[in-house]
Amino acid sequence: MVDEVKKRTSRAGHEEARSDEALLIAVGNTQDRVAFEQLFSRFSSRIYALGMKLTRNEQLSHDLVQEAMLTVWKKAPLYDLDRGTAQSWIFTLTRNRCFDILRKQKRQPNCISADDIWPQDGEPAGSLVNEETATQEIEVSQIESFYNELPDAQKAVVEQIFIFDRTHEEAARVLDIPLGTLKSRLRLGVAKLKQHVGVDE
Amino acid sequence: MTDQSNFHPSTKLLEEYALGTLSTGMSVAISAHVELCDDCKQHVSVAEQHAATAWAGSASTKSNGAPDYSDVIASIVSQVQDGSVAPQISVPEELHTPEHSVVLPRVLAKVAAEGLVWKKLAGGINQARVELDNETQCEFIYMKPGSKTPVHTHMGSEVTLVLDGSFSDEMGEYGPADFVLRDKKDHHQPCSDEGCLCFAVLDSPLTFTKGLARLFNPLIRYKFRRATSAGI
Repeated sequence: MVDEVKKRTSRAGHEEARSDEALLIAVGNTQDRVAFEQLFSRFSSRIYALGMKLTRNEQLSHDLVQEAMLTVWKKAPLYDLDRGTAQSWIFTLTRNRCFDILRKQKRQPNCISADDIWPQDGEPAGSLVNEETATQEIEVSQIESFYNELPDAQKAVVEQIFIFDRTHEEAARVLDIPLGTLKSRLRLGVAKLKQHVGVDE
Repeated sequence: MTDQSNFHPSTKLLEEYALGTLSTGMSVAISAHVELCDDCKQHVSVAEQHAATAWAGSASTKSNGAPDYSDVIASIVSQVQDGSVAPQISVPEELHTPEHSVVLPRVLAKVAAEGLVWKKLAGGINQARVELDNETQCEFIYMKPGSKTPVHTHMGSEVTLVLDGSFSDEMGEYGPADFVLRDKKDHHQPCSDEGCLCFAVLDSPLTFTKGLARLFNPLIRYKFRRATSAGI
């Protein structure tokens, strides 16, 4: 009971706690080490637990934590919200690393790897593309209202790029912010819009 | 090519595939089917999301003994990130049969990329083994037009994924993208009028029994069929 309360107050104290997605995007956009450490502490015990479930071996599970989190770091620039939640992105990537670790341990031929079996970075599924075009018209009208709810910093960036049609470099100059900052605000802003519109379905 | 197939992996098999618990051979066969079947692709993606959600609650008890990972983190963040999209196999691999050239699903293209050695068997059957793991026997099979396999029994269960042409047995006729599961109880004698290229996986019966039971569950077949016709 007391723990419950503590947890809640500490959560309230961290009003600014960033979502998994925001952390992952920050890692991908600006090599944000603090964000990576947070992701690490959020996911390492989960990865370990999945490793124990699939390999029943503590050493392999520790290896899995390292390999999976290394892959998170390396591939973070490829993540965007079209790929679903950060959680399912990290889950599938952990599954793949675990599959490869087990194959290696069983000395199976290495002509093929988990990333061949579950292609991650290929084109999206055909049916999803169709759905996307079907919902496009609704999005346009809805997006405007969500746009107004964005934090000012993100709104300014989205405005420069999508309304004034400026290049990233031009927009960064106009707003007098570093290019990296512009890109991460843009991604966050667009991510939020997409989330509102329900692209995460 | 999509949405044509009438025979699919069971829901249970697709879920196990999504979790990564199947043998490599079996995973490859399902991966190839899934690439050809939007319906199953959808099932897998939903299964992955469910697994990821269930995963979120899986490790909360283990917070005390969390080891100190600061060295690991330091060594990871010193590495260079992948800036661009991972390279894909750009050219689709084709297999040439006397009738057609067949574009293979990506995963099978990768499997075949090392080169296939074809062996002639009785009854107009050609077989090219590929070694994927220590638990299954995997092979490409090409049946010449008018061929008939000798009646055969296997130790375990057999998955056959049709890649081109068609074959039939006592239980039905199978065309491209069909995923056909048989166990050793099924005495079947496949034959092909027009010729047929397949990928086959012989697995241990143990891995299979649950999946098999589900495949023949009429409710699930109904569900698949309904989903297929409700699609495009």
